[in-house]
Amino acid sequence: MGSTIEIDMEKCKGCKSCYQACFVDVFRWDEEEKKPIVAYPEDCVWCYYCEIACKEDCINVIPDVPGRVVMPY
Amino acid sequence: MANLESIGEVVSADLLIVGGGIAGLCAAIKAKEEGPDLDVLLVDKQSIGWGGVSNKGGGIHIVFPQDYDIDKFVDYHVKNIGHYLNDQELTHMMARYAGPALEKMEEWGVSVQRNEDGSLNLGPVDFGWALAGVDHDLMLKLRKHARKLKIRMMDKTLVVELLKRDDRVTGAVGFNLIDGKYSIFKAKAIVLANGDCQFKGMRMWRSSGEGIFAAYMAGAEMRNAEFGNFYEMLRPDNNEAMPFAHHFLYNNEGEFITPKYMPEETADIPPAILLGMEKEVLEGKGPIFLDMQQYFAHMVQFITKWDRPHVTAFYSKAMGKAMKYGPETGARVEIIPGFIGEFSPVKVDQEMKTTVPGLWAIGDICSAGSTWRGAIPPPGAMRGSGLMNASVNALIGMPSAVSYAMETPPPEIDVGEVKRLKEDIYPPMKRDKGYEANDAIYAIQDVVAPIRYNLRRSKDRMEEALAKVLEVKARLPELYAKDGHGLCKSHETKCLTLCAEMGFRAALMRTESRGWHYREDYPERDDKDWLKWIILRKEEGEMRLSTETVPIDKYKVKP
Repeated sequence: MGSTIEIDMEKCKGCKSCYQACFVDVFRWDEEEKKPIVAYPEDCVWCYYCEIACKEDCINVIPDVPGRVVMPY
Repeated sequence: MANLESIGEVVSADLLIVGGGIAGLCAAIKAKEEGPDLDVLLVDKQSIGWGGVSNKGGGIHIVFPQDYDIDKFVDYHVKNIGHYLNDQELTHMMARYAGPALEKMEEWGVSVQRNEDGSLNLGPVDFGWALAGVDHDLMLKLRKHARKLKIRMMDKTLVVELLKRDDRVTGAVGFNLIDGKYSIFKAKAIVLANGDCQFKGMRMWRSSGEGIFAAYMAGAEMRNAEFGNFYEMLRPDNNEAMPFAHHFLYNNEGEFITPKYMPEETADIPPAILLGMEKEVLEGKGPIFLDMQQYFAHMVQFITKWDRPHVTAFYSKAMGKAMKYGPETGARVEIIPGFIGEFSPVKVDQEMKTTVPGLWAIGDICSAGSTWRGAIPPPGAMRGSGLMNASVNALIGMPSAVSYAMETPPPEIDVGEVKRLKEDIYPPMKRDKGYEANDAIYAIQDVVAPIRYNLRRSKDRMEEALAKVLEVKARLPELYAKDGHGLCKSHETKCLTLCAEMGFRAALMRTESRGWHYREDYPERDDKDWLKWIILRKEEGEMRLSTETVPIDKYKVKP
């Protein structure tokens, strides 16, 4: 599927909500910097829960529309 | 023991629950209520409280209005939805427990929509059952309650296979997605609550059947595998699901096709409208379009009915993004059947016990295998039955799982088996090239999704489909992965390939048409020979098929 995930690292306070909210393992966590790493954006399915969970409003998911559509005919 | 710890990280619990979605959380809490001293461990391949689909759907839980005659519901269901393949006693039980299960979830912290007088604020009651509204933060509320009860939790750990000794389950093995390390679980009893297989078929429907794989490999029986072929309405131009769009479909000549294929009102998408969509396209009258004005007028009742801030935030975000980054939405949009499958064949009894001692399954994983729905894949013409299935399964399943865990002595682990399974899990990480997991997944999707293979079924076409699945299966030993994330995807690929094989093998065996199993070469229902469930089981390394007669004589509703 895939997306571009923009994170404003200046605004990010390292609460880890985005990392926890992702159910398809897109993020890794930088333990030293206490910041998210967008490790596997190609697997993002645009549920937007990372964005919704972010209290600092510093994430913007740009979906790669339409992504893979499995055809039934 | 020292030997075991040298192989991987060893974690012990009385009760291991695999999957931290709605079913797993309800199960963990119910288990702790039943046995407060029980050591309960909840494990999820991602984050507990965020997985699965319960926070990505409609936020609806089926209940039955007070004084509703459940016998009447069972009668309607068996005749019109389940087509006599129901365990009718379980269908009755599911309906009886639906209300109490919702009340339990509310007691555990879930926000349920109520009127000022305290009664449930229910949605439309069209076919006997009603919809109660819940907010999308339901799993987070349950996770908070579970923490209070001192339920242990472990994220980012994929459970791959189960351990057995003397035929009973004694634990499980898996790995951590972050560092790839091997995990060994010792448990007196295990509950699989990690979902069905959706073949990653649509955008947010990502489940791959890891629990089904683990149960099958441990020798558990599967049942009703031919009913894992659900299709949702999908907008291909922006990849958004469009539930209930089937009411307002037009062909490219402007003809309103819904009444042609759905002359009578049905509880949800019937196979006839999906077959009709394909027919129109094959006759050159495609694509199929949805009238957006009619659609919005219909959907507004659901959008405005309840006050659910988390549901509103979820859908507002999705709509905003679709408008900003997707194509424009005109008066009509193209609609196709989007394959989700909801393949869920783990066989359980009325206490959610699988056929392997010490192993339970609850939630989507056994939604078809429990057979309360009969001849239909989930959501089984009952939107809102996913949440109900999870919550009720936890209520009716956990008492026996807890009793078993309390009475069972600590398990002895077969060290040789733990070593052997480790050797099976890691080969993809030892290769630096090979078969791409995504290529295998796409190949499987391209076989399970076409209507000609999986809804308008025939012997020739299913044999062709099965051959394609087996081609993928033959290449699975070439899968490669560079890290824990990739290893997880490799394993998911194996699981959904197995699920595809099971589905086609079962469908080939059922030489009749019934419910969502439609065969062009056997178009009639055959109650003489096919009041039977198909059973699949691994025996001596092979997939064996057999049948189990539906005990129709003891049920109230008969053909």
